[in-house]
Amino acid sequence: MKKDYLSLTILEIHDALVNKEVTPLELTLEALKRAKENNDNAFEIILEEEAINKAKSLEGKEVPKDKLMFGIPYAAKDNFSTKGIETTGGSDILNGYVPLFDATVIKYLNEQDAILIGKTTLDELAMGGTGTSGHKGIQYNPYDLTHNHLIGGSSSGSAISVASAIVPFALGSDTGDSVRKPASFGGLVGFKPTWGLISRFGLFPFAPSLDHVAYFTRSIDDASSMLDILAKYDENDSTNTYHKRPETYLSYDGNVKGKKIAVIKEIIDSIKDKDLLNSFNKSIEELRNDGAVVDFVSMDSNLLKAIYPAYIVISSSEATSNNANLDGIKFGPNYGGNTYEEVMFNARTKGFSNLIKRRFVLGSYALMSENQEEVFLKAQKIRRLIVEATNSILKEYDAIYALASPTTAPKFNESSDKLSSTYLIADNWLGIGNFGGYPSVTLPIGFKDGLPFGANLTSKPFDEINMFNIAKSIENHTNLKNVSTLNYKK
Amino acid sequence: MNFEAIIGLEIHVEMKTKSKMFSLAPINFGEEPNTEVTLLDLAFPGTMPRVNKEAVKNAIRVCNALHMNIDHELWFDRKNYFYSDLPKGYQITQQKRPIGSEGYLEIEVDGKKKKLEIERLHMEEDTCMQHHFSDYTLLDYNRAGIPLIEIVSKPVMRSGEEARKYVEKIREIVTFSNVSDGKMEEGSLRCDVNISIRPYGSDKFGTKVEVKNLNSISNIEKAIDFEIKRQSRLLLLGQEIQQETRRFDESKKETVLMRVKTDAVDYKYFTEPNIPPIKIDDEFIKDAIDTCPELYDSKLNRYLNDYKINDVDAKILLNSVEFADYFDKVASFSNSYQNIANFLISIVQRYLNKENISIKDFKVEPKYIAELVELLKSKQINSTQGNEIFNELCVSNRSPKEIQKEKGFILMNDDSKIREIVKEIIASDPSIAENFKAGKTRSQGFVMGQLMKKTGGKVDPAKANKIIVEELLK
Repeated sequence: MKKDYLSLTILEIHDALVNKEVTPLELTLEALKRAKENNDNAFEIILEEEAINKAKSLEGKEVPKDKLMFGIPYAAKDNFSTKGIETTGGSDILNGYVPLFDATVIKYLNEQDAILIGKTTLDELAMGGTGTSGHKGIQYNPYDLTHNHLIGGSSSGSAISVASAIVPFALGSDTGDSVRKPASFGGLVGFKPTWGLISRFGLFPFAPSLDHVAYFTRSIDDASSMLDILAKYDENDSTNTYHKRPETYLSYDGNVKGKKIAVIKEIIDSIKDKDLLNSFNKSIEELRNDGAVVDFVSMDSNLLKAIYPAYIVISSSEATSNNANLDGIKFGPNYGGNTYEEVMFNARTKGFSNLIKRRFVLGSYALMSENQEEVFLKAQKIRRLIVEATNSILKEYDAIYALASPTTAPKFNESSDKLSSTYLIADNWLGIGNFGGYPSVTLPIGFKDGLPFGANLTSKPFDEINMFNIAKSIENHTNLKNVSTLNYKK
Repeated sequence: MNFEAIIGLEIHVEMKTKSKMFSLAPINFGEEPNTEVTLLDLAFPGTMPRVNKEAVKNAIRVCNALHMNIDHELWFDRKNYFYSDLPKGYQITQQKRPIGSEGYLEIEVDGKKKKLEIERLHMEEDTCMQHHFSDYTLLDYNRAGIPLIEIVSKPVMRSGEEARKYVEKIREIVTFSNVSDGKMEEGSLRCDVNISIRPYGSDKFGTKVEVKNLNSISNIEKAIDFEIKRQSRLLLLGQEIQQETRRFDESKKETVLMRVKTDAVDYKYFTEPNIPPIKIDDEFIKDAIDTCPELYDSKLNRYLNDYKINDVDAKILLNSVEFADYFDKVASFSNSYQNIANFLISIVQRYLNKENISIKDFKVEPKYIAELVELLKSKQINSTQGNEIFNELCVSNRSPKEIQKEKGFILMNDDSKIREIVKEIIASDPSIAENFKAGKTRSQGFVMGQLMKKTGGKVDPAKANKIIVEELLK
């Protein structure tokens, strides 16, 4: 390729394809080359043959007006069902499982003639936030060539593939912060929509009441453009909303005059890193200079500290049920046994890692009838209280704004104090977005010691355009739009 | 000491909807194993449930027939347990908010009406069918996901007879509303019995025993009667009744122990997160009820009071929903209701018995039966001709009037013509009239025989007899 088109945004690549500066095959071959060269462990499987065939079938064709993604390579987390392509969810229990159907979002992207070049690594069955628990081993932060820092998870491989400009866009899933947190560690835009806006059909369920199809891009405009493609109503997902979609989500100008933004004081107070705080405060000043009203508001710190425990209880409870279908009988490896109990026992003993088993035990414990009131239902009540508190802020404000993480990407051997406010609040507050099903977007606002960090905006359900508008204004000041490991200069 | 039995029933009814409770897999009973299956029925990762509207309608109809409160919001829960017949590892059911609650039905015992209260009715999905062999088990997922309604009575029955009548009533409702085939022997209606006994006058409940594997309504009664005796005997011997599950052994006509109940399984219920609560408005409920096929009681009332059919015949027509449906179709072409009933119960039923087929396989169009009944009623043909036309009808399924014309079965309508012939016969031998007047009724039969001979059987015997008597007495 004459030029590094893969380092451009989707909208730019699209224009280049329309203008015939580059072809789908050239893009695909380059993306495949980068994928194979990647040594951060981004891929479960690279789809060389499939991708090249698809790209060849598009060669010479005019780019249809309604196909933004035509000929553009992308990657998908390996918990999206892909017809004819092994999909394991990063777990040995699904080794060799080749789905018979495409997830709805994969179908939509196929219809766009986007080119799937690989399935990306993840924490096992999307449970985890470190990118260390999947059956392919650990994933590395592409900004750290020494491989000491994590990229975060669970959508770790997808984050790497966009941050390394292998692809301009990758699908992930977000149950607690599984896209929006790695987006912060990878200098990316990580977006999840209102719960129910994008069909989850074909996404391996972790905790359906919290699960979202989410994705990484390198610009806010790319994120909003993608939503036009992915947010279409799908009858296969009964939780998919009937709420009317706008003509296009790409309909804002970044003007934040009069917009009201809430910064939750307790979140910021729990962050110790002065450099990150300085960048964040600078971004607040820029918003104010642009005419936005930025207020510090308060939220009960006990509620904030309860996000993580409530999340773990609810997500583990739903997870233990959702993954009960993985029993070695219908698909995945069958390790044998003389009775059905033995077949299930063997498959689940060998197929799941201990971390997963720990979550299942936790979830089962929370759901047991003697504990349900005290554990599971209490967590649900806490969830409701947190959502109510958030709603009362969002009634007055267009968005809640805070750093997406208290630090840049941690080192693998770093252990955080799990009972500290920093961990309980600043490291886990993004879960609010899942509790209430709010649209939420992380975008990069700075770098520290060569590692990126991001901030997050969370808004009212179905208020995506308003949120993108504010995000666009922030992006305009960061000079980090479309940053990747290939174009980042220290 | 005398004991009182406390009996409660849990009935599962398999619905005959076109597709499954949460998937689009078709339901046609008796297909090849594992051919009526979608990926959801096999619990492939990422598949999601969609609620079957028709199944909801059916549930509403049964709720209405059972006088239940109908919830205006549908909520589903997961019942979690591991078993080889449960593909997802959980069953989607309605634990916390059943669609129907607090209903009743009425039965008649010893000529008295008794109201039996029903606790709840909820929708759920069936499990897959297991075929056990000596060292392996085969799984057929055709059944997995078929919609079920579960109807749970309060512990209000006191005898095997009451339980039998309760189940009969439920079966009648689900078959007449076209919700289910309601066949116990084929498993489309399944019944579990909970039974305990206590001394009369006691307000405490005894230890509950569950009886499963009841494959006919009469076995329910037998099993309960046996259980009452068994438990009474144990108590009289000073022994304790164990909390256990038993099954009915058909050959021995007694219940046998399956397993002693230890701690109940903890199903870890929680709200199904993939199905949001679904509001059902009054209009939907009203429509479901208004379009419900007519139930037994309403039909019986119509037959007796509007159609003036006698009680015995009306109940025979209602022996099966298919027979009653056929009757109603015929009755839509003619209002000679009792005549139609007579014809169906005698002629048609005899034909069905002879051919060993059910009314479902009876091909003659109802309008032709109505036509034939009218021909008979208006005496345009006699019963012998009627039988002949019916036989032809069963073969060729075409208009009886057409057959009548072809066969030349035209009765003489002209009374004066008949009278003329009768006069001729009587005049031919004066002893005929003399004998008749002397009390020898044989003469009447002789004249009739001659008349039939001369007319080729084309007179209506009743009409002819009247004329013959008149002429003989002249």
